[in-house]
Amino acid sequence: MKAKKRVVTYGKGVPPSRRAASGPAPKTHRTPTVRTIRSAIVEPKPAPPPRPASPAAGRIGPPVAGPARSAVDLSVDLGRGLVLRNPILVASGTFGYGVEYADVVDIQRIGAICCKGTTLRPRQGNRPPRVTETPGGMLNSIGLQNPGVDAVLDRYAAQWAGWQVPVIVNVAGESIEDYVGVVRKLDLVPGIAGVELNISCPNVGKGGLQFAIDQEAAAAVTRAVRRATELPLIVKLSPNVADIRPIAAAIAAAGADALSAVNTLSGMALRADRTGPFLGNTYGGLSGPAIKPVALRIVYEVAQVVDIPVIAIGGVTGLDDVLDYLAAGAVAVQVGTAIFADPTLPVRLVDQLAAECGRRGLASYEPLIGTALPTRPNAASAKGVEYRP
Amino acid sequence: MQLVDAELQESRQVLPGQWLQQYHAPALAVSARAGQFVHVRTGDWSGLVLRRPFTINTADPATGAISLHFREVGRGTAWLTRLRPGERIDMLGPLGQGFQVDSRSRHLLLVAGGLGIADLRLLVDEALRDGRQVVLLYGCRDASEVYPSSLLPDEVEYLVATDDGSVGHHGFVTDLVLDYEAWADQAFACGPLPMLRTLAGLVAGRKGRLGVATLGRKRGRGRPIPLGSPAARKKAFLQVAMEQNMGCAVGACLGCVIWGVNGPQRVCREGPVFAFDEIDWEATAGAATHKR
Repeated sequence: MKAKKRVVTYGKGVPPSRRAASGPAPKTHRTPTVRTIRSAIVEPKPAPPPRPASPAAGRIGPPVAGPARSAVDLSVDLGRGLVLRNPILVASGTFGYGVEYADVVDIQRIGAICCKGTTLRPRQGNRPPRVTETPGGMLNSIGLQNPGVDAVLDRYAAQWAGWQVPVIVNVAGESIEDYVGVVRKLDLVPGIAGVELNISCPNVGKGGLQFAIDQEAAAAVTRAVRRATELPLIVKLSPNVADIRPIAAAIAAAGADALSAVNTLSGMALRADRTGPFLGNTYGGLSGPAIKPVALRIVYEVAQVVDIPVIAIGGVTGLDDVLDYLAAGAVAVQVGTAIFADPTLPVRLVDQLAAECGRRGLASYEPLIGTALPTRPNAASAKGVEYRP
Repeated sequence: MQLVDAELQESRQVLPGQWLQQYHAPALAVSARAGQFVHVRTGDWSGLVLRRPFTINTADPATGAISLHFREVGRGTAWLTRLRPGERIDMLGPLGQGFQVDSRSRHLLLVAGGLGIADLRLLVDEALRDGRQVVLLYGCRDASEVYPSSLLPDEVEYLVATDDGSVGHHGFVTDLVLDYEAWADQAFACGPLPMLRTLAGLVAGRKGRLGVATLGRKRGRGRPIPLGSPAARKKAFLQVAMEQNMGCAVGACLGCVIWGVNGPQRVCREGPVFAFDEIDWEATAGAATHKR
């Protein structure tokens, strides 16, 4: 019943050009209700959004020859056919489901939207207060409030299918079965361009140990999700680990198409009268410019040990931050906390990155990627954590 | 909702630590309704990453001016107080659901605690414009914090209660409500959480016997009105404006929730105005508010 309903919404949502190609046009004398049902029956199941094995698949960075929209080609291939028009994404949790900011932002110009973390069943989230500002950043402990994957698909999937901007669904869970359950429901749904796994959740099966800090669990959940879907799969790394490299390598080996780094840093704040923790959940995740040096270090480390694309997240507030992350080996960046103060920032960054490439006489931004990585394979920083205070 | 470049026209300290600023923002002045707010971007030189939400204190569509009334509580508000007339700041708004006034209401009872007056000030103007009678009950700590009556229209009946009795009634503002609850068709409140909770308790005990809720119920009798809808809020007698630390203010981040009887409610989207019976007062009172 659910699947049938979605086919109907897709039948209404596809652009006329594609609908004409996929089946006969509905007869105009029928009543609207009958027409909708009819179209769902006679039309063959629409093909999923184009996801061909691109010639550039497996290669990191923007394809050399792509459909150039302007003088500078900003498109980027994140693997498995997930080709974005530009490398500026919006981070999960900061942009809702893409509809909230539509009044003030031209969302179709963003590279991709990572939607709010989605779980198998509805979640009410943590007790308030949930956010507070800290120097150069903010703490949040939303607690994955979301209406559940079924409601998310019902409310937004048809809308997403009509958008130019790809929507990547951020998936969270408390067991491998949770993750697989959500991803199975997302698989082959029009309007879903990819999946980003939030593995910074406690693994109930392992006594609450986070997937993200446990190499085996992280690889296991990646492998299970990989088996469950053909969707492009991004895994979001946690910075709250001693050494990210073995975890990143294990996730890449388990079949992830790309990595995003990093999720929030664990932190806390106290009440003004210092009688206890301020956040309802005691602990919160730190984001914003305050975490950029940490995220930059992790991107730098991860980019050296994996050969899949790395998407940088953490305190991007301007073009300099984007260029830093690209130089450290990321092929794309997600803008998060900065959106709250400056909703139009992601769209401006797209223009600024194109202008910067133009200024340097580049046809694509690929030459900007990895320029700060060590040139010798056995450089000191590639071996271990050299931080010695 | 739109992003607006607002020019500061006038800024003055109306009470110790409390500022009244007037901005030229015609787009907001025209569309703002009482109870709605703007999300203001402060200078980011000092590591401030979030906007600040301020309720729209007054809005004058004729001159295109809106005013904000706020207390200097942290670096963001301190930055605002140092702005000079002519400087421009970035505002996102108008945001949220405003107060719902029933078209049949003739008598409005407004209850403000301290800075809560800022949420109700525009409602005073709207009510008088629509020919309604307004009683404003105002509570604060002592005489030094009493909202100047010169900032209110003459038509308002204005009563003050102070905690130390230095002006007006000696005690809480909620004590004054009993004299007016039978007169009022609808009540609106904003202020500290304990005050709102007390009011909600008063009203809950007399549910169905106060205000317009008791008037003509013929049409739609028996048809359930979904909790949180404008119709339900109009019928609820008491509407309260809530506050919470806020992230995006457009409903995306789910940071500003308070606990309602139907689970978490976003102050920025479902609120900031709620009917008193939508809120789980026990759970909400348990969470302390934090001033930046």
